[in-house]
Amino acid sequence: MTLTTTSFDWVRELVHRESAIVLQPGKEYLVEARLLPIARQLGITDVSQYVESVRTRPSPDSTRQIVEALTTNETSWFRDGDPFTALTATVLPSLLAARGPNERLQIWSAACSSGQEPYTIAMLLEDALPNASSRVSITATDLSREMVERTKAGRFSQLEVNRGLPAAMLVRHFTRAGTEWEVAAPLRRMVTASECNLATALPRMGPFDVVYLRNVLIYFDLPTKQAILRRVRDLMRPDGWLFLGAAETTLGVDDSWERVVVGRSSAYRPLKGA
Amino acid sequence: MRALVIDDSRAMRRIVSGTLEKLGFEVEQAGDGREGLDALERGYIPDLVTVDWNMPVMDGLQFVSAVRSNPGYRSMTIMMVTSESEHTQIVRALAAGAHEYVIKPFTADALRDKLALLGLLPQEVSL
Amino acid sequence: MTTTEMGRRSSDRRPVITELIDEPTIQSIAEDAWTALVGEDEILVPLPGELPGDVVSSWVDVVGPWTGTVVLTTGRETAAGLTRALLGEHAPAELEDEDIVDAFGEIANVVGGNVKAALPGPSALSLPDVGDAPAVRNPADLCRVDVLWRGEPLSISVQGALPALPVH
Repeated sequence: MTLTTTSFDWVRELVHRESAIVLQPGKEYLVEARLLPIARQLGITDVSQYVESVRTRPSPDSTRQIVEALTTNETSWFRDGDPFTALTATVLPSLLAARGPNERLQIWSAACSSGQEPYTIAMLLEDALPNASSRVSITATDLSREMVERTKAGRFSQLEVNRGLPAAMLVRHFTRAGTEWEVAAPLRRMVTASECNLATALPRMGPFDVVYLRNVLIYFDLPTKQAILRRVRDLMRPDGWLFLGAAETTLGVDDSWERVVVGRSSAYRPLKGA
Repeated sequence: MRALVIDDSRAMRRIVSGTLEKLGFEVEQAGDGREGLDALERGYIPDLVTVDWNMPVMDGLQFVSAVRSNPGYRSMTIMMVTSESEHTQIVRALAAGAHEYVIKPFTADALRDKLALLGLLPQEVSL
Repeated sequence: MTTTEMGRRSSDRRPVITELIDEPTIQSIAEDAWTALVGEDEILVPLPGELPGDVVSSWVDVVGPWTGTVVLTTGRETAAGLTRALLGEHAPAELEDEDIVDAFGEIANVVGGNVKAALPGPSALSLPDVGDAPAVRNPADLCRVDVLWRGEPLSISVQGALPALPVH
């Protein structure tokens, strides 16, 4: 059975709302191809039926699965650019001035997926700081064990390294491993990856100077978003920096953050006394 | 914005041109490095040049070296688009003056991402 | 002293392709190429099929620490189908022979370039050629993958340029 217009429209709206990505009309075949494996796993042979079952009783997990299935191609390096250039241009100098020379900076990539984000950060720091691996630790967490394993391995296919990674950084920070590219050992040593479910009580981590919490809050309802932001702030330094996804904001969610313009991006910092 | 697409494969020229045109570029094509230089010498100075490596008459590396040694062509961004994917080859291309490098096989998304990195791209992302 | 007096030195031994690459690697290279060039939902099923009588091949030469050729072979109709899929919306209503030569050659260029990068380098890659496949010179210096694309057989063969050394 092919995807009904209602189902397709709902999926389009969901994807656009959650990821700012536009699914053009005519891409029904893509939605069917990507969602059929998930539907089958649930014992449903009809994609429209599967979509309807999620649409009528949505949950963070089920909507996230759909959005991820349709946007996994969007995992890229330096995603949206500015939140990463802001790290070396503004955040890092500010932190180095505020911290002692022997204090290790701690950065958290809180939805690390297959590792592009934490290694993007690692590359930037490696290029910006002498002895970056002794000055900075990067904690990478994800809900999915598979993603955590991928992040630990630091290996990417040719198609993956083509996505937004400057060629100069590719040759500087990767070595070839067969048909794949592997992140250089010093960078892999900078990153520690583990499983973490943001929607539950968090393990003892940090305290973090910088947190990247990008394109994750969108999957949750308001009370859960608020709980997550609270938990994240509890693990941050009072003068820390939080980066959200390009379409995300704390406005209307949690007023204990101050929005700061950083280059062409925004960061959120814990409000003093909040 | 203007682009020059250089590849000895007509199919590849069509594919790259198609993607660039959808992104708002005006596109000219050339079949090898020599034809590419001829286009520039005729006065077509693009914002972006995509160039393959292995081509007859004049290959992509020779084209890049020729262009980068000419101050009159300084404003152009040069992106190699090639199946050459050895580490040493990419280093050679960047050393010769290529600004970016896309490995074949590549998707339209990959090309778009590289253009975003180079600041040559409009904002909205669509599938 | 001459080589024959010293016996064959280990540095004289040329590696055969099976020591340098395997079928799953070639399969993965082809899959990435098909995903990007033909369509993201395209699948290459690793099953041999019987190639039709009328086949066409495209190939590129690799010259380096290992020297040989990466050859794609399929039925003429399949090559036309591949061309159409590759060109997508740019495909003309009527495909000319030169469209097929161009597209099938470019696929060899993409697959060959990536096979080359998985081998010890540095190596040079030739321009693609299309026609009757170059003969296999040494059956021991051959790594071949047979797949089905949309049900039609296609083979990718990485074959050494040099005949086997005579056994004394």
